[in-house]
Amino acid sequence: MNVPYSWLREFLPKLPEPEAVREVLDSLGLAVEEVHHLPAPPAGVVFGRVLKAGEIPGTELKKLEVDVGREVVTLVSGAPNARAGIGLAVARPGVVLPDGTEVAAREIRGVTSEGMALSPAEMGVGEYAGGLLELPADGLEPGRELAEVWPAEVVFELELTPNRADAFSVLGVARDLAAKLELELVEPATEVEESPVSRFVTVEVADPEGCDRYLARYAGGLEIGPSPLEAQRKLLAAGLRPINNVVDATNYTMWELGGPLHAFDLEEVAGGIVVRRAKAGEKVITLDGEERQLTPEDLVIARKMGSGTEPVAIAGVMGAANSEVTEDTREVVLEAAHFDPVRVRLTARRLGLSTDSSYRFERGVDPNLPPRAAARFLHLLQRWSGCTVGDVVVDVGGDKPRREVPFRPSYANRLLGTDFSTESQLVALERLGCEVAGEGEPYAVRPPTWRVDLNIEEDLVEEVGRILGYEHVPTEPLALIPAPDNLNAEEPYRREEALRRAMRGLGGWEAINYTWQSPAYLSLTRAPEPRRFLKNPLDSSKNALRTALYPGLLENLATNREERHRFFFELGHVFLDVEETRLAAVLGGPLIEATWQAAYGEGYPAIKGLLEALAARAGARVEVRPEPHQPLHPGVSGTIFWNDEPRGFIGRLHPEVEEALELGPVYLFELVLPLPEAVREFRDLPKFPPARRDLAVVVPEDVPHIEIFDLIRQFGGPYLEAAELFDVYRDEPLPEGQKSLAYHLTFRHPERTLTDAEVDEEMGRIIAAVIEAGYKIRE
Amino acid sequence: MLEEALAEIRAAASLEALQEIKVRFLGKKGRLTQAFKAMKGLDSEERKARGQELNRIKQAIEKALEEREAEIRVAELAAKLEREREDVSLPGLALPPGGYHVSTQILDELVEIFRHMGYQAVTGPEVEDEFHNFDALNIPPHHPARDMWDTFWLEDGHLLRTHTSPMQVRYMEAHTPPFQIVVPGKVYRHEATDATHEAMFHQLEGLAVGEGITLAHLKGALLTMARALYGEKAKVRLQPSFFPFVEPGVEFLVWWTNPRTGEGSWLELGGAGMVHPAVFKAADDAREKAGLPRVYENVTGFAFGLGVERIAMLRYGIPDIRYFYSNRLAFLRQFPRP
Repeated sequence: MNVPYSWLREFLPKLPEPEAVREVLDSLGLAVEEVHHLPAPPAGVVFGRVLKAGEIPGTELKKLEVDVGREVVTLVSGAPNARAGIGLAVARPGVVLPDGTEVAAREIRGVTSEGMALSPAEMGVGEYAGGLLELPADGLEPGRELAEVWPAEVVFELELTPNRADAFSVLGVARDLAAKLELELVEPATEVEESPVSRFVTVEVADPEGCDRYLARYAGGLEIGPSPLEAQRKLLAAGLRPINNVVDATNYTMWELGGPLHAFDLEEVAGGIVVRRAKAGEKVITLDGEERQLTPEDLVIARKMGSGTEPVAIAGVMGAANSEVTEDTREVVLEAAHFDPVRVRLTARRLGLSTDSSYRFERGVDPNLPPRAAARFLHLLQRWSGCTVGDVVVDVGGDKPRREVPFRPSYANRLLGTDFSTESQLVALERLGCEVAGEGEPYAVRPPTWRVDLNIEEDLVEEVGRILGYEHVPTEPLALIPAPDNLNAEEPYRREEALRRAMRGLGGWEAINYTWQSPAYLSLTRAPEPRRFLKNPLDSSKNALRTALYPGLLENLATNREERHRFFFELGHVFLDVEETRLAAVLGGPLIEATWQAAYGEGYPAIKGLLEALAARAGARVEVRPEPHQPLHPGVSGTIFWNDEPRGFIGRLHPEVEEALELGPVYLFELVLPLPEAVREFRDLPKFPPARRDLAVVVPEDVPHIEIFDLIRQFGGPYLEAAELFDVYRDEPLPEGQKSLAYHLTFRHPERTLTDAEVDEEMGRIIAAVIEAGYKIRE
Repeated sequence: MLEEALAEIRAAASLEALQEIKVRFLGKKGRLTQAFKAMKGLDSEERKARGQELNRIKQAIEKALEEREAEIRVAELAAKLEREREDVSLPGLALPPGGYHVSTQILDELVEIFRHMGYQAVTGPEVEDEFHNFDALNIPPHHPARDMWDTFWLEDGHLLRTHTSPMQVRYMEAHTPPFQIVVPGKVYRHEATDATHEAMFHQLEGLAVGEGITLAHLKGALLTMARALYGEKAKVRLQPSFFPFVEPGVEFLVWWTNPRTGEGSWLELGGAGMVHPAVFKAADDAREKAGLPRVYENVTGFAFGLGVERIAMLRYGIPDIRYFYSNRLAFLRQFPRP
């Protein structure tokens, strides 16, 4: 919402300077996004009256004879609205325009143009560049410097929150400033000279839920033409495009008061107006020239045509071309109505047609504004064009009463932590237009109908805070004893933090990858089929929610191809049938990179070592049992058992994937969180010496270590303290296809020294179990 | 003999040579030992004089041996140390250094700040239902306020949460006041990415609920955070704003001095306010449905939320948010934190 400073000042004669206003607006919650400084027209730009306009044959250009005071000059213009009988802004040769161009006399198609007729954009006073600034022919005396009547302007561009519907108007902003700064507010003039009219329209509202108020008024004796210079100046500063006096007066009133208006050519709607739901499949060509297909959810303004009716506007959104105000319009019906916000929003969204009007109706327009907005429009139009104003007012619906909200100033202080006096709070509300009644708490506060956002006591508390100022809110510490069911609420997050910390400590780089992936990439990387898809992805190929973390980490390996230490981890969510939190790690090279020293820590043992170190830090027991997993090399793939529960997979990436992504060997693991915790119990420190034995078992190549390890633990007896694999041997004298797994075994009794005989007995049981299982002991 | 022995000892270059000399003169068959033995045939006067002389020689030789041994030991140690010399300027083993993503670092820092104030960190799902992301937060369907959050919708009607605020209601559904929590996490906005906009980023949400909690407590929490982040000169300003789930609603600004330029300015860091009664009601209604008592009828609370990446961008002068999730090591390793 653009608010020109000079417009505000019309209502607030004692308004401080713009810089100060900016800060006050911010403090009111009417955030100033930017302050624009619009210059006055450049020196040398004068008013000119077009005496004659002629075609230049073979072109779209026109040759204009323009009275610029002491002389009549010839100008060439290609603007569609260049014509005789209007006033123009003229730059003579030598004038420097705001964009830096110096105007010069030019010969165009054999005609010498002695200067330039300017568009608002060329003048630097507005954005419109599609045509000339078009002024009333007698607006000024020809030759007058425009800068003398067209001052520089400061425009506040406000970023308004959707609750402040009332502030989508100059008056609304002025009201807030008046309340905050305790300024006198001069209400916009609405008086008109009324006369009787010979004909008008009837209005029937067939859908009172969609339209709870419809007010129509009459203006006649119209001459459609440009609006006065000052009105156009303000519209341009606000970012609106002047069109003609009638349309400009509706826009001007909307910008000023916040109520959208629409003017119909009376001739076109003379049969009467009906406000009704659209019929299924009904079509209408809107003012922008587009044909729109309607549904019964849409509300239309229709004209009676014989026995039927035909839409002349989509209610609250846009008028139709069939009843638009044209150069020939002499009488208009002005619509000032109030439509249901949700219906307007749904229609505007469905049609993809957001207008200044729909934007305001969606947010909430004062239901009691229509009579006033209509009067302001008529006042302006009568002043601008001398039209007649009819004494008829059709008003279906009428005024709505104010809401009543109970208010306790003590509650405001309790919520704000302030000690504002009751008096100051009630006065603040009154300054905002509230009516306050009652002798004590709760007071009955009746907010003005334009404040559609004030419905509950807390809303009023905010108003008190806004007007009296949040700078009065003190700073206080808060200490509380949480209710018991909150204890340890953060345990899951603490565990995640600990895992991240451990992974970082092991040397991993934490990556954070996008939640969306392309199904093709997930399939390429052999991840589970995606289950959940975005309806409106930014990149239509990446429409699936990731089903594993490692595919993203593989991308990170690829992105960082040139780097060393390609060891990444991520802790994040994946989306299978349920949302899971996971931790994954990928290793794209040795743990210790080669420098002048050899590389160290490559292959599967490196990733397995990382997993084991992670588990050791977490105080967990981790084991991997061979098992194929879809993403992994079938021969280097296992299930991770974390404290005996299967929680993930580890191994080498499937070579097909490595090849497809042009990666070398990649080792990875992925764990599903939360990881099961083991019960921790203190074990007394060893007091007696251990007995150590070694055991070597010869097994076929495809028998995994864990199988022998399980046997050792299962049959090792109560005093087997530890078993550790220390050698894997595969050469002579063992036969081909056999390997020897050698273990250090440690036995210890907590209360005495074990005898050799006792240890031999334990060893005997283990050996018997190994032989029973079909393997040989290597002596 | 003494002269001869001393000369040999002086010339000895190693402990082994010295030992050989020692044996040759002082050993069982050594020359000095022989000389002592040869005294047998002398008379007592002569023997006494000879004995004294030989003892003097023996002592002199022993002293010389000791001194020489010490000398050789010093020289050998020096030689050993010289042999073991290494070029300590050589690069070490290329161990993986590891590090957190910069977004995690800022989140951790924020979580730590709020833990000191007694907050607990909890997390929630990223795929949300419309109820928790919008309705329960007083953002009804078809309300223009919904335009404040451009939303990624899932084909099944769910959505990617547009803020961490759904956890306000989720947490209240399962817990009773009083409490203070922060919710770190990923959030999503359906908007085209550019230097300052990402479709995925991180937020920290805060919620404190109990009896007698006021906007002044919110200001206290935010000031504590601002000082922890930006030093003792940091200030906090509240400015009216609108978020449907708080009333009054404010935006909080923090006075920040840019460490690179030394210039101070007010930063709009996030939104906050007093929990809207409709949010408490939504939580209580959900509790009632689950057979739990209503516990949010006589409490007040405040909530706040802030973006994480923006803090990182300001602190380090990162010009483009799109660097964050490229996960290039050239980016990741620029933000080490002990």
